[in-house]
Amino acid sequence: MNVRSQISMVFHLDKCIGCHTCSLACKNIWTDRRGTEYMWWNNVETKPGTGFPTQWEDQEKYRGGWKVVDGKLKLRSTDKRHTVTDIFHNPSQPTMDDYYEPWTYKYDELFNAPEGADQPTARPISMVTGEYINIESGPNWDDDLGGSPVYAENDPNFKGLSHEQRQQLFAIERLVFFYFPRICNHCLNPSCVASCPSGALYKRGEDGIVLIDQKRCRGWRSCIAACPYKKTFYNWSTGKSEKCVLCYPRLETGQAPACFHSCVGRIRYLGVLLYDADRLEEVAKLPDDQLVDGQRSLILNPNDPEVVAAALKNGIHESVVEHAQRSPVYQFVKEWKLALPPHIEFRTLPMLFYVPPMSPVMASKNDDTVESVSENFFHDIEEARVPLQFLANLFGAGHQAKVVYALKKQKAVRMYRRAVTVGDIDLKTAERLLTEAGSSVEEAEAIYRLTSLCTFDDRFVIPPMHREEAIEMIKDPHEHRASTGFGFVQSPERGL
Amino acid sequence: MRPSLLLLLLILFCLTPLAAQETADYFRQNCMSCHTIGGGRLTGPDLKNVTQRKDRDWLIRFMLDPKGMIDAGDPYALELQRDARGSIMPTVVGMNRARAEALLNLIEAESKLEKSQFAGMQISDRPFTPADVEMGKQLFTGARPLMSGGAACISCHNVHGLGALGGGMLAPDLTTVFERYGGRKTLATWLTAPATPTMQNIFKTKPLQADEVLALTAYFQHTLQRSPEDPATARLNFVLIGLGGTLLLLGIFDVAWSRRFRAVRRPLIERKRMEILHEQ
Repeated sequence: MNVRSQISMVFHLDKCIGCHTCSLACKNIWTDRRGTEYMWWNNVETKPGTGFPTQWEDQEKYRGGWKVVDGKLKLRSTDKRHTVTDIFHNPSQPTMDDYYEPWTYKYDELFNAPEGADQPTARPISMVTGEYINIESGPNWDDDLGGSPVYAENDPNFKGLSHEQRQQLFAIERLVFFYFPRICNHCLNPSCVASCPSGALYKRGEDGIVLIDQKRCRGWRSCIAACPYKKTFYNWSTGKSEKCVLCYPRLETGQAPACFHSCVGRIRYLGVLLYDADRLEEVAKLPDDQLVDGQRSLILNPNDPEVVAAALKNGIHESVVEHAQRSPVYQFVKEWKLALPPHIEFRTLPMLFYVPPMSPVMASKNDDTVESVSENFFHDIEEARVPLQFLANLFGAGHQAKVVYALKKQKAVRMYRRAVTVGDIDLKTAERLLTEAGSSVEEAEAIYRLTSLCTFDDRFVIPPMHREEAIEMIKDPHEHRASTGFGFVQSPERGL
Repeated sequence: MRPSLLLLLLILFCLTPLAAQETADYFRQNCMSCHTIGGGRLTGPDLKNVTQRKDRDWLIRFMLDPKGMIDAGDPYALELQRDARGSIMPTVVGMNRARAEALLNLIEAESKLEKSQFAGMQISDRPFTPADVEMGKQLFTGARPLMSGGAACISCHNVHGLGALGGGMLAPDLTTVFERYGGRKTLATWLTAPATPTMQNIFKTKPLQADEVLALTAYFQHTLQRSPEDPATARLNFVLIGLGGTLLLLGIFDVAWSRRFRAVRRPLIERKRMEILHEQ
């Protein structure tokens, strides 16, 4: 057992209201520089929709992530051989048009326009070329367009849905969408790191944050092709690639990352997980239907004395272990099995988990009467407006079982709380539902607390980063001790 | 050594009358490819008793700047050019007034001898065989490297009928050089020690061997049957072949990277637009 620690995240999609506050918080801190205007380290997508960049989930086109060939993991885009042959022309490189051309408006024209018969206007100009442009797309161009014939219809997650099912989705009375906020998943098996010809990408040992060394990056852009989530970006101004840094300077000072901190819907949870690094490869090669369970089995129980001993032996600080025991992520992912990894079939083992969203309650028809509650309380999961297969493609590698389990449990908790607070449902029935959903009253209370009544400290259990220990490996932290503190521009000389 | 002393020595060295042996070497290197003393004319006239035919001052002026004299329309210089079938004497590398004087002295002295050491080289006069022509062609195209390691003729020169792309375009077309240089003896002599500034720079340290000179002369005699290539046609051919080659390469790239990423968003929108148009 090779125990490592990893900062992990849970996004509770049932709570996301799609306000993009997270995206803006991130943009204002990290990507408002020249060359980064088009980057959205954090973005919020509408599902069904094509996302950012357009149809990023379609790896037939983008060729990101891993595939298993003859029992070995291989990068889809840039394996070792292709690193050499494709180094000057990577054939899997998205173009700016597949993201969007960033623009601003020429506001000074509002003030400087000569007097005329028409109102002055501020025309859009490209932030890349500075020329006037026609805006054709944006990072959230499909925002709220759940039924749009271009964007929603071309969502790659419709794979495996019948024609009727698809058509139903676009019937006006069945229109549905939910939000899907995305940041870098800080994967356990990151394909971006594996693809870099310069060795500029690395996964921080102490917390698993994936970073790009700006000094070593040579701008080959292999990571951009290799990341299946398209969360590394090329800065055309500096000629280097950049990505989400999980606000590590904030984490190191005990603050939640900006997107977490600013989240209006309080959908974001952050905590540390302990995992077994020895079994990574074995798990990443599992067949699609076993991947979710496989990844869960990697995550170790921080209360198990054996795990704690192994963690301490591996140099993980006691305080980190202690924080892992209180991690909300551990509860959502491992204990309650509510949170699921996005597109785990890309085999990068993402460490950002999503609680799948509940659809709007569906009415059922009994003869001529429309009822909002049926005998079968779970009916609106199977018959939800968002087809189960769609959610399964997104969160279950195409297999429905894990998604159904998570939705049922959420539904049962709702019913239980309704029985407690409203009382129109019999408590006995609610408890039966909980049992059916594989839960219990205690667990339902805990889920309810962490979902609805959570404070900052409940949501963000940030372990001390112990940078001093990480730095000790590279240099002596006492290097400058007793040698600095009072400096001179010109050293004083004594005597004449 | 102090710089001023060095400078003084340098000036003294320049003022020293050029040694006789050095002048003779200079003549051999720069003049013998076109001139003899008492050996008959090659590309240029026989220089025996040249000082009696024309005054020293004129000769020195001509030696310093042959092309200038011709351009200025000097009648005797023009006559010389006519006799040389249009070849213009190149400006000789390292020529200056002192050197010209020394050369004229040397020519005067040599003219008095019964047989001058510069009466002409021993050029083989055995008849050319088809094998000579073939070897000459190989030397010209570089299929067979020159013994001394000099650059193959084709790098700069062309001969009509060398293939689609032809030879270099930097230097004159050599299809009819045999005739222009007045036959075997002249051409062979010239090739033994090429005297034009460009050729001299390249071949001074890497001279052609006697058998190579023979083969090349044979080849140039052989190519005499062809007419030189029209430069316009040659250029057109070059451009067309270049374009064709580029297209071919692009085609190969297209196949080699056929799995490359193509636009995603734009086709999506175009497809829908076409669908809507069809419905209407």
